[in-house]
Amino acid sequence: MEQLGKLLIQMIISGVMMGFVFSLIAMGLTIIWGVMNIINFAHGEFLMIGMFFSFFFFKYVSIDPLFSLPMVAVLLFIIGFITYHLLIKKVLQGPVLAQLVVTFGLSIFLVNLAVFLWSADYRMIENPIASGKISLAGIAVSIPELVASIGSMIIGAAVYWFIKRTKTGMAIQAISMDKDAAAIMGINTDRLNAVSFAVGVMCVGVAGALLSNFYYVFPEVGSFFGVIAFATVALGGFGSIEGAMIAGVIVGLAEIVGGFLLAPAYKYAIVFAIYLAVVLIKPTGLKGW
Amino acid sequence: MNIKTRHIWLILLALFAIVLPLILDSPFARHVLIVILLYSILGEAWSILGGYAGLLSFGQAAFFGIGAYTSTFLLINWGVSPWIGMIVGGFLAVLAAICLAYPCSKLQGHYFAIATLAFAEGLRIIFLNWNAVGGARGLDPPILPTSLWYLEFHESKLPYYYLLVLFLAVVMLAMWKLNSSRLGYYLRALRESNNAAESLGVNTKNCKVIATCISAFITAIAGTFYAQYVLYIDPASVMQLKLSIEIVLVTMFGGVGTMFGPLIGASFLTSISEIFRVVLGGAGRGMDLMIYGLLIMLISTLKPDGVWGLVTERLGRRPGKEKAKTSGE
Amino acid sequence: MQSILQVSGLTKKFGGLTANDDITFEVNRGEIVSIIGPNGAGKTTFFNCLTGFQRITSGSVIFEGRRIDQLSAPAIAKLGLVRTFQIVQTFAGMSVAENVIIGALMHTRNVEAARKRAADVLAFTGLSSKKDVLGKNLTIADKKRLEIARALASDPKLLLLDECVAGLNPNEVKEAVELLKRIIGAGITLLIVEHVMEVIMPISSRVVVLDSGKKIAEGRPQEIAADERVIKAYLGDRYDA
Repeated sequence: MEQLGKLLIQMIISGVMMGFVFSLIAMGLTIIWGVMNIINFAHGEFLMIGMFFSFFFFKYVSIDPLFSLPMVAVLLFIIGFITYHLLIKKVLQGPVLAQLVVTFGLSIFLVNLAVFLWSADYRMIENPIASGKISLAGIAVSIPELVASIGSMIIGAAVYWFIKRTKTGMAIQAISMDKDAAAIMGINTDRLNAVSFAVGVMCVGVAGALLSNFYYVFPEVGSFFGVIAFATVALGGFGSIEGAMIAGVIVGLAEIVGGFLLAPAYKYAIVFAIYLAVVLIKPTGLKGW
Repeated sequence: MNIKTRHIWLILLALFAIVLPLILDSPFARHVLIVILLYSILGEAWSILGGYAGLLSFGQAAFFGIGAYTSTFLLINWGVSPWIGMIVGGFLAVLAAICLAYPCSKLQGHYFAIATLAFAEGLRIIFLNWNAVGGARGLDPPILPTSLWYLEFHESKLPYYYLLVLFLAVVMLAMWKLNSSRLGYYLRALRESNNAAESLGVNTKNCKVIATCISAFITAIAGTFYAQYVLYIDPASVMQLKLSIEIVLVTMFGGVGTMFGPLIGASFLTSISEIFRVVLGGAGRGMDLMIYGLLIMLISTLKPDGVWGLVTERLGRRPGKEKAKTSGE
Repeated sequence: MQSILQVSGLTKKFGGLTANDDITFEVNRGEIVSIIGPNGAGKTTFFNCLTGFQRITSGSVIFEGRRIDQLSAPAIAKLGLVRTFQIVQTFAGMSVAENVIIGALMHTRNVEAARKRAADVLAFTGLSSKKDVLGKNLTIADKKRLEIARALASDPKLLLLDECVAGLNPNEVKEAVELLKRIIGAGITLLIVEHVMEVIMPISSRVVVLDSGKKIAEGRPQEIAADERVIKAYLGDRYDA
């Protein structure tokens, strides 16, 4: 009985920790979604880029992922900003389908660019600072996971603060609630679109950097996280930041607990099942408008 | 007069379809043609949902996979002919479509897209871990002597080609019928305004479910054809998100809501991706797919209404002239 | 006179807000009943409740002797209670004729028959010359007219018109009223929600006044125009300002 209790606590801790990382990824996606009404199919690929940057900093300059994090964040922000201006901006006025597939094209491009430049091999960061396990009252917690979850929480909180408390952030929120009204009120939607896209990309990139401490780095790594992020965002309600945060934790928990109850291999099927179940009851997601 | 010219065009088109693989007689060219036909069929099926009803499905791979797996499974385990297998698969896909569409019929736009995507991905993960259907290794149908009954032709790709031409013709005919049927009108109406359609007695939920079922059925049958053509299936090839999105791409590039759009889109995209694969794929390291991705980005930013738009722009004036002439006479 | 619609105790709450509060009245066959009231009086909510677009919280709606308040919107429409929308819901990508065919398809599966019916309705509503124009290319006045035509094509017994003259210029208003008179002439019962009451009062047989979700008055147009409460609630804030 005690054994089972411990196991349960272990799972919940583990699930919540991964959940915070999912939250951060989903936050990035939901900001982009809410502001531009675009599904970023390349979201996972930005995560992959974040991981690779982190890996390269470690390998070539010997900077630990924890210390290169700010640089990765800035780099991803810049990449996001450029992507918006080169690509996203051009389809915003176009048909919905063009908006849907353009990022899919980007995703194929980025994956294969990574294959082209760095090959399809799996890589691992050997012995980063955040490694090993700590044990508290018989409950083992993986340090890299703990670091990733705390890091995600800090960055998530910072982005939340940015959106809710700064002038730019509030303007971004205004756009996601009502684009026309925002435009009438003289909000420069183009600049803010660019900022939101860049912030969204930065979020997922940072999540990638945090994951690189304990996850394999390879070109295809993003596709899985991207798909989970869609379900997370839809679960939380498109455009809702609070929704994405909550949904991230739910997904993290569902994944671990579901993996335990059924075969681990099915754990992501459970995530999708939960999403479909929620959508049945509330079509706009947990916190949707 | 108008109908007559249309008939002549159709006959010419049919002749073209019959003669084409005889001119392009290399196995590679014929392979490309077959892939084009498959994608055209899948695009037409997607069109029923995306083009007519405005339900953007990003989970067509689920139905395709169900079709491919059902017939293959039946053939391997009980020696059931793929012709029967495809019907069984079609109905299983319809069942899946009902399970998906009933709850999702109230979803709009992106929400429907993501729900279908989640459904297909969930199914893929199940198949990936389901030992009875081969898990990640997939299934390969037994190699049987060439026969129509078992849908296996080893000497030539031609039979596959002609069967698919016939299949596409049937699907297009069905689309044409749908276009001028009550269901066709209703689907277009609910795409434009769900509320207005309901105010005019349209049971939008049923219409959406029926549209999803038709689309699923056709897609599943195409799945069986694919399985029998390639003689190997696994979750990565028949249930991947990439497939679902490529089906969307094909229709989009050809022009959504047009009869020949999927055919044009499929011809365009498939040729390009297959040629890239052959020319650049050998060089390895993702070069071909990189260019493919780049191309998708270019088209969706520069020509988002589809390639078909280019054609209709050019021919735009002609039908009008003809009409004026006939009414003048 | 025989009643076609009986609304009793209709109440609709959104959380703490009561949008419709215990509304009771009847519509008789062949009548033209107008529902008027200031903005936010709950008129559109009331229409949504009658036509199944929103579920009522309590009360009942009986149409031709049948209780309909639990039926779905399309089911209610099929019984012959058809509505238009305040914010026009034209099928933008379809031609005027196709828009009307959708309505005509309610009682027939046969598209050819629906096309014929649509042609008649287009002639009746004066839209024949625009039958090939796409819905989105119409003027607001024509969109409103098309919405009425679409509803008429479904052969309604009771037609609910939500602000069919709001936003039109005086000339268009005159044409719209002409159309309403023709519809009445064809023997269709009308229930009209209107903000611009001057236009609708003269052709109404009875008027129901809503204010803050409650029915505050009901009667012949002349009586309503003289009613203290109505003047205070509605005319007052319109004309005194």
